[in-house]
Amino acid sequence: MIPSSAQPKYNTREEVDFVIIGAGAAGGVLARELSTNGFTVVVLEQGQYRTAADFKHDELDVVFNNDLLNHPRWNDPQTFRRSETETAEQTQGGPPPAYYARGVGGSSVHFTANYWRFHQSDFMERSLLGPMEGTGFADWPIRYEELEPYYARVEWECGVSGQPGPFDAPRSRPYPVPPMPVKSSGVLFEKGARAIGLHPQPAPLAILSKPLNGRPACVHCGFCMGFGCEVNAKSSTLAAMIPLAEATGRCEIRPLSTVFRIETNDAGRVTEVVYLDSAGRQQAQKAKAVIVSANGAETPRLLFLSESSRSPEGLANSSGIVGKYLMGNGHSITQAAFEHPLNEFKSVQVTRIVHDFYENDPARGFYGGGGMDARPFLDSTPILHAMTGLPPGKPTWGPEFKKMLRHYFTRKMSVLGSTTSVPLASNNITLDPRLKDDKGRPAIRMTYMDHADDLAMATFLQDRAVEILGAAGAAEIWREPVEGGTVQAHLLGTCRMGDDPVTSVVDRYHRAHDVPNLFICDGSTFVSSGRGQPTMTIQALAFRAAEHISRFARNGEI
Amino acid sequence: MEKTRMTKPDDTRRNFLKSSGSLFGASWLAINMPLILSASETAVENQQTGTGYENLSIEQALELDALVNQIIPADETPGAAETGVVYFIDAALGGFMSNAASVFGKGLNEFLQQTKAAYPGSMRFSELSPEQQTAMLKSVEETPFFGMLHFLTLCGMFSMPAYGGNRGDSGWNLVGFDHRHAWQPPFGFYDAAVHGQSTAEQDET
Repeated sequence: MIPSSAQPKYNTREEVDFVIIGAGAAGGVLARELSTNGFTVVVLEQGQYRTAADFKHDELDVVFNNDLLNHPRWNDPQTFRRSETETAEQTQGGPPPAYYARGVGGSSVHFTANYWRFHQSDFMERSLLGPMEGTGFADWPIRYEELEPYYARVEWECGVSGQPGPFDAPRSRPYPVPPMPVKSSGVLFEKGARAIGLHPQPAPLAILSKPLNGRPACVHCGFCMGFGCEVNAKSSTLAAMIPLAEATGRCEIRPLSTVFRIETNDAGRVTEVVYLDSAGRQQAQKAKAVIVSANGAETPRLLFLSESSRSPEGLANSSGIVGKYLMGNGHSITQAAFEHPLNEFKSVQVTRIVHDFYENDPARGFYGGGGMDARPFLDSTPILHAMTGLPPGKPTWGPEFKKMLRHYFTRKMSVLGSTTSVPLASNNITLDPRLKDDKGRPAIRMTYMDHADDLAMATFLQDRAVEILGAAGAAEIWREPVEGGTVQAHLLGTCRMGDDPVTSVVDRYHRAHDVPNLFICDGSTFVSSGRGQPTMTIQALAFRAAEHISRFARNGEI
Repeated sequence: MEKTRMTKPDDTRRNFLKSSGSLFGASWLAINMPLILSASETAVENQQTGTGYENLSIEQALELDALVNQIIPADETPGAAETGVVYFIDAALGGFMSNAASVFGKGLNEFLQQTKAAYPGSMRFSELSPEQQTAMLKSVEETPFFGMLHFLTLCGMFSMPAYGGNRGDSGWNLVGFDHRHAWQPPFGFYDAAVHGQSTAEQDET
């Protein structure tokens, strides 16, 4: 797709007000806000500029060939290891450890669109619960109340369907559109949860149940998780924000532009952003200020790649904690089959959630909290179902296998438990010392093992899921093993926010402590992980950051 | 606590699931499959016109027909061979699985040799009795060749018909997947009443 003709073409040798690196959940919001506020903006995005017409219901290509994930121009591998004592290995085939979509809209294009606001406690658990030795457990420098108006803006301006639930934090506005129609998994989950005394609620989703802001309602096609929306009902920044940024005439989106380095001058200010353009030529865009919104893996990678004699450990890394405290949220999966068809391949993934276990509870004996939801998960498309959806201990080929395929696909559902992640310095993103991409950039190396408390919380939620599904009348229930994640779709915490430059990378306004005209705004600036659905908070932070950054720019404070 | 049957995952499945971590659960075998499937149009053409294969010999294709039908056999509905899975595999080996094509070809030939050794009187795997075929395939269940065969069979059976398999949506019809671009509630049996429809109307697969 050709970017809108309303876009300006800025000269790379003349300073624009802002370069934003990454057109994803945060970058799309920042582009819209800053251009609307009158600033000139260039957005550099390594992926393609796809639009709704380019998306397809092609499970093989999207799920197995990673069509939305792969670098569009070259091989860009990643490595993974459990601990710093191991040598990280390149993942062969399958999803990469840092799992994110490339393209205008970023991962907001392919996400499942669960849009839980954080609770008040998420911002201040260190104060509420006390220290956790040997971890990075800390309060945010901001509180829920400060972010609340921006949550409301996400709901109204990006577009979130929902209905307030009994455990939600206070809100200033209702949801703009009602929840999505309940699916069979939601009905069963609600029934089972109520039967054991819980308080299920409709799931807030960044998918439109009714038309809003000139965009249409969902048509329930069923291709949400991992796919791009063909009708623009999913509230990606591609659908909701980028067109508004373009309409200002001040925002230029440059897709297929992979950033290699941010240059710094002798005064310690960033001056230009070096990238390979869509034709493979090296370019450098000058800017008065740079905002990195590349995600919790690519952002630290870029800061490391931008090292200089002034900052040998990486740009904005005088604290030495860039890349550290990676949080991915713990997960548990519980599967069930029922007597009659649920047909979970239709419509959105999630229609009901349970937040009864959101808050920490000392009685559990470990730190953490979490949320649960009902969804088809990997049973919404047939190849994944055939490979992962059937009960364990049964034939995986032959006549019995075929009978099971016939029986289970329409009768299955899952309950997904999502938990807190304890922030650990040992969970991190670094540059791989050996493996490079085709252009010579060191590969992303992820080191990750969930904290024991995260796994305990995931197991606790799985125990509740088994009870709920039993109370809902499931014919069969089985558990997927709870173990440390090797693929993280929530890339949080690697450039954490804080007031103290010794223990954080950016300040409360997303400005790098070390570099006055460098801002970082994406999942990397999280201090805590929340309970498993981070994009809503990433976008609220982006709306808030844009307001403060605009103020600084107007006042000559950048 | 629950009356329903609880089963524990066995080790094989556990290892299988491990490859992709807890969030995504399972599904991705540890084999390379990086590139876009480019040869698919050829596969469909070849399948429709009954012309030959691009990457498989006729003998390999005949043996694969028997092999994929062991993975998903014909009963009252078509087996994998009839749905065009071998055409899919042929295209995949020239497309998104091209970097694994030689490994797969070698594995297939080794398997066919092993079959000859195990059943000296017979000429080919495809000529064995169904029981003999099953026993032979069981003996290699843990090999990378079987893993690839299994993976490709399921991909061919359930991917879009444009890729050469799943002829006439036969794979989708088997599981009850109906590919449409829009649905309206009610979606299933259990939400019918909520959406004002009798459950009977939803109780069909």
